[in-house]
Amino acid sequence: MTLLEIKGLTIDIARDSGPARVVDGIDLSVTEGESLGIVGESGCGKSLTMMSLVGLLPNRIRATGGKALFGGRDLLKLSAKELRKVRGSEIGFIFQDPMTSLNPVIRVGDQIAEALVYQKGMTKAAAKAQAVELLALVGIPAPEERANAWPHELSGGMRQRVMIAMGLAGNPKMLIADEPTTALDVTIQAQIVDLVRELKDRLKMSVVWITHDLALIAGLADRIAVLYAGTVVEDAPVEAIFDRPTHPYTRALLGSLPTLAGAAMERLPSIPGTPPEPGRRPPGCPFAPRCGFVQPSCSQSVPKLQAMPGDRRHKVACPVVLEGVA
Amino acid sequence: MAMIDIEDRPSSLWRDAWRRLRRNRLAVAGLVIIAALVVVAVFGPWLSPYDFLSQNLDLRNQPPSAQHWLGTDDLGRDVMSRLIYGARTAFMVAVGVTVVAVLIGVVLGSIAGFYGGWFDRFVMWFTDITMSVPQLLLVVVINASLKQPISLWMEARYMETLNPIWRNSQIIDFVLVFGAMALITWPPYARLVRAQVLSVRRRPYVTAARAMGLTNRLILTRYVLPNAMGPLIVAVSAGLGTAMVLESAFSFLGVGVTPPTPSWGNMISDGLRVWTNYPHLLAAPAAVLAVVTVAFNFLGDGLNDALNPKGQK
Ligand SMILES: Nc1ncnc2c1ncn2[C@@H]1O[C@H](COP(=O)(O)OP(=O)(O)OP(=O)(O)O)[C@@H](O)[C@H]1O
Ligand SMILES: [Mg+2]
Repeated sequence: MTLLEIKGLTIDIARDSGPARVVDGIDLSVTEGESLGIVGESGCGKSLTMMSLVGLLPNRIRATGGKALFGGRDLLKLSAKELRKVRGSEIGFIFQDPMTSLNPVIRVGDQIAEALVYQKGMTKAAAKAQAVELLALVGIPAPEERANAWPHELSGGMRQRVMIAMGLAGNPKMLIADEPTTALDVTIQAQIVDLVRELKDRLKMSVVWITHDLALIAGLADRIAVLYAGTVVEDAPVEAIFDRPTHPYTRALLGSLPTLAGAAMERLPSIPGTPPEPGRRPPGCPFAPRCGFVQPSCSQSVPKLQAMPGDRRHKVACPVVLEGVA
Repeated sequence: MAMIDIEDRPSSLWRDAWRRLRRNRLAVAGLVIIAALVVVAVFGPWLSPYDFLSQNLDLRNQPPSAQHWLGTDDLGRDVMSRLIYGARTAFMVAVGVTVVAVLIGVVLGSIAGFYGGWFDRFVMWFTDITMSVPQLLLVVVINASLKQPISLWMEARYMETLNPIWRNSQIIDFVLVFGAMALITWPPYARLVRAQVLSVRRRPYVTAARAMGLTNRLILTRYVLPNAMGPLIVAVSAGLGTAMVLESAFSFLGVGVTPPTPSWGNMISDGLRVWTNYPHLLAAPAAVLAVVTVAFNFLGDGLNDALNPKGQK
């Protein structure tokens, strides 16, 4: 069953010179228990899209259109108070930088317990016990002792595990992980990915994993959505993305994937040119200026996501390649 | 950052700062002097050789001697006992004023910085206004306009209750001096806290707290404020010294603590009139005030360096 369905989401930044569009009509869906990987270059709107779901957009940035149905309700229409209840309890988050995402003046166990007290109205003692259980769940050794540790006493990998425990504290139906391993060592990255996969199966939740690193989530994601300049350009099951990448941008991304196992990619492989600045997108397909398959028709209209012939689950926003396939 | 040994238990952020502070000789000297001041202020009545009010008109303006280490003043009162009681006045005023001013500053500054909007604009406007009022003028006006009505009101309470506390004129003094000084010294604290809150609320752990669905109030009190306090500690240390000087200055000018309650300021003021004949009456309180002020500044500088090791010159 569909858990999250985003339709035609647009996000604008209020600038002095007028609004600049950063997210331009994104369609995405996540079914229950599914894990979706979101890839795309820096600045393409991955984080803003996810933050908009729970009302955490920065000042001056607004979701201006579209819908985000979650369990039947449109998240974009909820009040601030209702959204606060969605955060943590229905949608959990893990962030990029485990070094700075924990409050340095609260012991890690108390940080989790405090959230439980407020999310679920637990008593302090019950919340503490549950915090220790959560620390054990995310594979922290000697969880009772570590619950009394200060954040600066833990290594990066341990802190990211604590962050995951916090993300899971409210028992959410969906966990959004925004580049949670970018700041970690390669070996630890793999451990975190494994942990999240295991937790996803055990807790039967959906996972949305934002990353620059296609290779890293190949083993975790069921489906991958490729974002470019605030639009989804390809959305397909993970095997299809790797076996039959169709959109020129996806192909370019994969074309330069490192073949050496374990080679870490901090950033996506470089493609000549740069993505358009928010508010300065070219008419038509935003990737056209950098595209090797560009046709005169590309600058006429913004391409829509369309299913590939013969595979309904593989969608591409590029009429040029679709015609070539057909 | 490397992984730190897990045995290294208590918040070593503060322990490191303390270690750095201890290595700073001037700061330690300041701390010792301030500690001595606190002891003297608290235990003054038991430490002072004489009652600070008792006059001995046969022994007026005595130079320092074995009986009166710092001599006596023009009413034959023991200068040392008055200095000791003056420490109590200075300490009470400094702590009272600073506590009130910091409370106002923290409440207004943190709400303004955290929530922004019209309240922020109002608070900033209010601090500007307050800071543009001449301090001395404000205190004089408050003293002149409020002293009379408050005295009358207290006298009325006394008549009702016959409780002698309502006849204690020191209370009026302190309430007025505290009040007036707190009203003029809070804006720097408010600005400092606001600036800190503005920067702390952008930190990733605040976003993480929001993402966990914590309430704004909890985020402000548990995530933002505790992490915004470092610079405030430095400011408070310096502010205590400033408040003492301010109290002395007002007492010196006759708008602070009213005699016969001893204050270093009014002792300096009395001493100034006769200093050509009896220099010790000026020298003793002036020296004490100078030493204590310098001690607070040393401690403030030391705290600043200890809490911001990267900012060292
Ligand atoms: N607080 C902000 N103020 C102004 N512009 C912003 C802000 N946050 C993001 N943007 C802009 O919005 C666009 C999308 O940002 P977003 O953070 O969603 O990118 P992203 O895909 O998550 O990138 P990254 O991979 O670097 O995290 C970027 O071009 C960025 O410049
Ligand atoms: Mg991002």
